[in-house]
Amino acid sequence: MSLIEIEVLTFSYTTQPHEPALRNLSCSIEQGTFVGITGLAEAGKSTFCRLIAGYIPHFFHGEFSGRVNVAGTDTRETTIGELAERVGFVFENPFDQLTGASLTVLEEAAFALENMGLTREEIRLRAEKSLSQVGMEDLKDRHPQQLSGGQSQRLALASILAVQPEVFILDEPTSQLDPLGVEEVFDVISGMHRRGYTVIVVSQDLDHLVIHADRLMVIDKGEIKWDGEPRKVLLEAAEARYPILIPDVLEISRKLRAAGRIPLGSPVPLTVEQAARELSSINERSTAAQTIAAGRTSRHLPGSKVERRKELVFENVHYDYPTGVSAIRGVSLSLDGGCVCIVGQNGAGKTTFAKHLNGLLQPTRGRVLVRGKDTREYRVAELAREVGLAFQNPDDQLFRSTVEEEVRFGPDNVGASPEEAKRLVTSAMDLMGLEAVREKKPHDLGMPERKRVGTASVIAMNTPVLVLDEPTGGQDAEGIDLLGHLVDYLVQQGKLVLVVTHDVKFAARHADRVIALHQGRVLLDDSPRSVFGREEALARTHVEPPAVTRLGRLLGLDETLLSPEELLAVFDPE
Amino acid sequence: MFDYRPGDSPVHLLNPVTKLAVAVGLTVIVFLLPNPLGPALIAVTLLGVAAVAGFLGNVAKLAAVITGPFLVAVVLVQGLFYPGNETPLLVVGPVTFWEEGVSYGLLVFFRVLVVVCAVLIMVFSTHPKAMMVAFIDKGLSPKLAYVFMASLQFIPEMQRRARAIIEAQQARGLDLKVNLWRRFQALLAMMIPLLAGALISVETRSLALEARGFSRGGLRNHLIEVPDRTTDRVIRWSMAAIVVLVALWRIVL
Repeated sequence: MSLIEIEVLTFSYTTQPHEPALRNLSCSIEQGTFVGITGLAEAGKSTFCRLIAGYIPHFFHGEFSGRVNVAGTDTRETTIGELAERVGFVFENPFDQLTGASLTVLEEAAFALENMGLTREEIRLRAEKSLSQVGMEDLKDRHPQQLSGGQSQRLALASILAVQPEVFILDEPTSQLDPLGVEEVFDVISGMHRRGYTVIVVSQDLDHLVIHADRLMVIDKGEIKWDGEPRKVLLEAAEARYPILIPDVLEISRKLRAAGRIPLGSPVPLTVEQAARELSSINERSTAAQTIAAGRTSRHLPGSKVERRKELVFENVHYDYPTGVSAIRGVSLSLDGGCVCIVGQNGAGKTTFAKHLNGLLQPTRGRVLVRGKDTREYRVAELAREVGLAFQNPDDQLFRSTVEEEVRFGPDNVGASPEEAKRLVTSAMDLMGLEAVREKKPHDLGMPERKRVGTASVIAMNTPVLVLDEPTGGQDAEGIDLLGHLVDYLVQQGKLVLVVTHDVKFAARHADRVIALHQGRVLLDDSPRSVFGREEALARTHVEPPAVTRLGRLLGLDETLLSPEELLAVFDPE
Repeated sequence: MFDYRPGDSPVHLLNPVTKLAVAVGLTVIVFLLPNPLGPALIAVTLLGVAAVAGFLGNVAKLAAVITGPFLVAVVLVQGLFYPGNETPLLVVGPVTFWEEGVSYGLLVFFRVLVVVCAVLIMVFSTHPKAMMVAFIDKGLSPKLAYVFMASLQFIPEMQRRARAIIEAQQARGLDLKVNLWRRFQALLAMMIPLLAGALISVETRSLALEARGFSRGGLRNHLIEVPDRTTDRVIRWSMAAIVVLVALWRIVL
């Protein structure tokens, strides 16, 4: 018998009685497997996880038919507490899942062990061991609230490792982390898999997920659409043009195979290194410079910069937090138009920089001019007419009873006339794909959609400058596409769009200019081609160029490439 | 500001329950004592205890901030208006300060000072987790103890979130410096996300606790040990005896 068996399961939440979250789903999972799960938002991925951990039906109620068996026990006939000794669960938000009652990392890791009534010595040994398994033994005396997102997430893992369950379920464990945190968490997960644990990971980040998983499942509208060996599943999904985030290296290889440039039969590559090995066998190629010069793949840059007015000017800006920490240390630059992406590791000063753009923060030295206005002389509410800023966490702003009213909040505040507001709201909801949910309560939507509501409410203010903080975080393939279209559209409208992002693929595709920040200073500031071509400099602020750029470099191409199309054109000029 | 100050003084080594018992005992005693002298002596002794524990400066500063304004107010008001005023102490123009009132004002002030100092010493010298463990050892429900611990971190967390929410709403053009109706709206724009966010994190957290066997019954143990020594028992019983003696003295005399 398999470790986990699900038989013809249908479940609808009490809150949405006529829309089953899962329909007639059957599957079994063997001990020791690493199962990756992906799919569009609201497809039923979290529901699937909650079923295995017994949160359904013991915590989330609804209509339940079928059967879930974990290690021979029917989950309906046990409790969450009992199941927790076999099934560990890590949630998306790195901070909410800590107990909030521990003053040190070690206490947090020991919490479950204390409840199990082990001896004091055993509690300490097991808690320390699990901390060392996630590489946090040096932080054991740190206060849990002083950890980074990646560290918090590893601590959550450690506190569950201490219980020694057989199965680990991680629901989007990395969507709120920076690239460094993502690497850290995936390293720990794959280490656990090697030690024999059964691991189930839900993620949109297929670049990382498929390298480690033995099995990939795509859930679509409550049913399993594909399930099998990751390469096979990805190829089938790519063939069907199904919207999941297929890794670029695999997509390139698939297209070159279809064009007969690579022999069929060998396994498709999943990593940049594998792809480089495969592509280096192709001798017949054009040069990258020729492809780029042909210009058939790159985006048209907006008109010459000389005619543009300076929308935002930073004059030797310094910012020190009241605690004395210097977050910005001498930034001078001016921004005129197009899409500007701000990249850099957590703590590099990206969010502090963004908060200077609408006066939420004022420089401690130097000055910031927003369309000629010195931010020190205007209120935030006044500057909001010039600069719209959409924050990372939508839950910090949503408070109206329908999506439409929520989106209307911004335009009403800046004094748009009723007809004008109506037009702006409709257009913003359209751009963010929210037409279908306009009458719904924002809080009933999933996180990716809530985030798009937050973004729409800022777009609807129709400001000449827009700042989006991590808009693609946690979004599925469709959400990322929508945001890409949005940015291109706004730039076409002549607006200046700043995007603070860890998503280098997004930056490579949409930015006209990329600014890399490092320790409160500008490290690099140039076209994406030039910035992403400087891999060593970027590494200082923990930014890795997009996969396709790294691939081109490993192949020793003469120019920096930014998109799979460019790379394909090199190897398959027709 | 009200955080634990680590140390290994005799005060730190006492069981938290002992410290609570002393604080409660002293509170009862100072409210039984009839004149300012007793409470004043106890207050001085407590400052000595704070010195032994190594945080006299912190206790003195905080106690001054908390009780200082109170001292001025209570002595002034009682000195002028205490119903039992008979003996003039000081006459400034048309205003008379009375001895009985000033004495009563000082009594009230020293009572409050003792309570504040006792509580500060207890808080500064006790690791919150040790406090929780000690109470569980004495039979407090682990759930109540958890609520106590979590509430310590809840307030700073809510403040942080409230700041983030105000910033996010201002970025959407919400003006905090306009007419009354707008301000009311601003309050909603802040409170609703704050409450909704708190509810979401409560849901996640209760699942996280559940997943760590929090609600399972049976034996529990703790990472840190909070010993209950003979000294602790002696202090607690002595405290009880003193309280009874003082009470008897007040009733009989």
